[in-house]
Amino acid sequence: MPTEASSSPAAVWAILRKECRSEWRTRYGLNAALLFAVTSLTSVSFAVGRLGDRPDVLAALLWVVLLFAALASLSHTFVREVEGRTMTLLRLVASPTAIATGKLLFNLLFLAVIELVTVPLFLILMGAPTPSWGPFLGVLVLGSLALGTGATLVGAIIAQTRGRAALFAGVSFPILLPVVAAAVSATRAQWSGGSVAVELRLLAAYGVALLAASLMLYDHLWED
Amino acid sequence: MSAAAAAVEARDLIHRYGARRVLEHLAFEFAAPGVVAIRGSNGAGKSTLLKIVAGLLRPSAGALSVQIDGRDTPPLARHRWIGYAAPDLSFYPEFSAGENLVFAAETRGLDAPPRAAQRALEQVGLASRSNDRVAALSSGMLQRLRLAFALLADPPVLLLDEPGSHLDEAGRAMLTDLVGKRRTTHLVMIATNDEREGALADRSVELAGRGLGDPA
Repeated sequence: MPTEASSSPAAVWAILRKECRSEWRTRYGLNAALLFAVTSLTSVSFAVGRLGDRPDVLAALLWVVLLFAALASLSHTFVREVEGRTMTLLRLVASPTAIATGKLLFNLLFLAVIELVTVPLFLILMGAPTPSWGPFLGVLVLGSLALGTGATLVGAIIAQTRGRAALFAGVSFPILLPVVAAAVSATRAQWSGGSVAVELRLLAAYGVALLAASLMLYDHLWED
Repeated sequence: MSAAAAAVEARDLIHRYGARRVLEHLAFEFAAPGVVAIRGSNGAGKSTLLKIVAGLLRPSAGALSVQIDGRDTPPLARHRWIGYAAPDLSFYPEFSAGENLVFAAETRGLDAPPRAAQRALEQVGLASRSNDRVAALSSGMLQRLRLAFALLADPPVLLLDEPGSHLDEAGRAMLTDLVGKRRTTHLVMIATNDEREGALADRSVELAGRGLGDPA
């Protein structure tokens, strides 16, 4: 007999584990995102050399790479359910909010893995100065939270549309632009010795606003 | 085998796909226990009706309620009380049959998910293929897996859309047996045009939708 748990943390946890296992077996998004990050960083490194004295360029480059690595993969958590026709199964075992929350947590974990590879590689290949670790990690964490939350929400919205790949990029851009702008500004500031407090507050507020909007919207996305 | 008291009621139910009308002013009320056959020509709306009952589709107009122990269940929470098997139900091909069901059981919050999955597979005669990847299952085995998925939580309402499709004679006997065992405890709704599946029912709804004859 079913219990009341199907929209509970247990359902979210089960979906998160399913996503991890599925990604581990198929490498559906991980390989693409890592390959993009590595090839783009290597190409830029060969093209322009080390940019240790240009924190403005370094900050922009870091977040552009992270943004496009995310855009290439984060919508897949929903799109592959639609293309594999498994969305019906998911909807029969969990509430939309539980499904989306599980996928959001997976996307955040996914971003963390991408960053674990990309950021050290970036610092080495670009000859970046040693970051101020506290502010730098703060920007990475809050920027990733906002990036992952926004991308997950857009992925959920566009999953059942036609031309979803183009739509994802088009709809994500205005939603994620403030995140990238604030993250670039804060990353540049920490390398220049400036304060990042304003940008961190902005990223935190934007991330919370996106999360709140997501939790309110998820239950209404797949009614038809 | 006992189940919560379940009832399904449609009031002036209408559903359209774009301009095409499928269900028109449908009204019925069925309470457990019993087996209901939903009949109608191709395109009459049998599958659509089951999707609405399952909460997967919102009707264009009218109302459909699923009551469990006298309490109305909102569409988004209906999955807790419903078992659903339909031809368009797909599984994760990178997982085995057993893993798919364990995931479903975990997500539904069932106790001892591996045991629940194994029990469901045994009921449909698929226990020996539990470790086979879904991608390696035949169409008949996939249909058995769909039935196992529907039975997983032993829900009080079972919605079976063309449940005998792709099944061999042994599979059809299994289907007859599993519906028969629930006849006096559950509410089973079967969408079918197959005489043998229709014969399992003690009540029926005849959908007079426009089917293929009139797309207007």
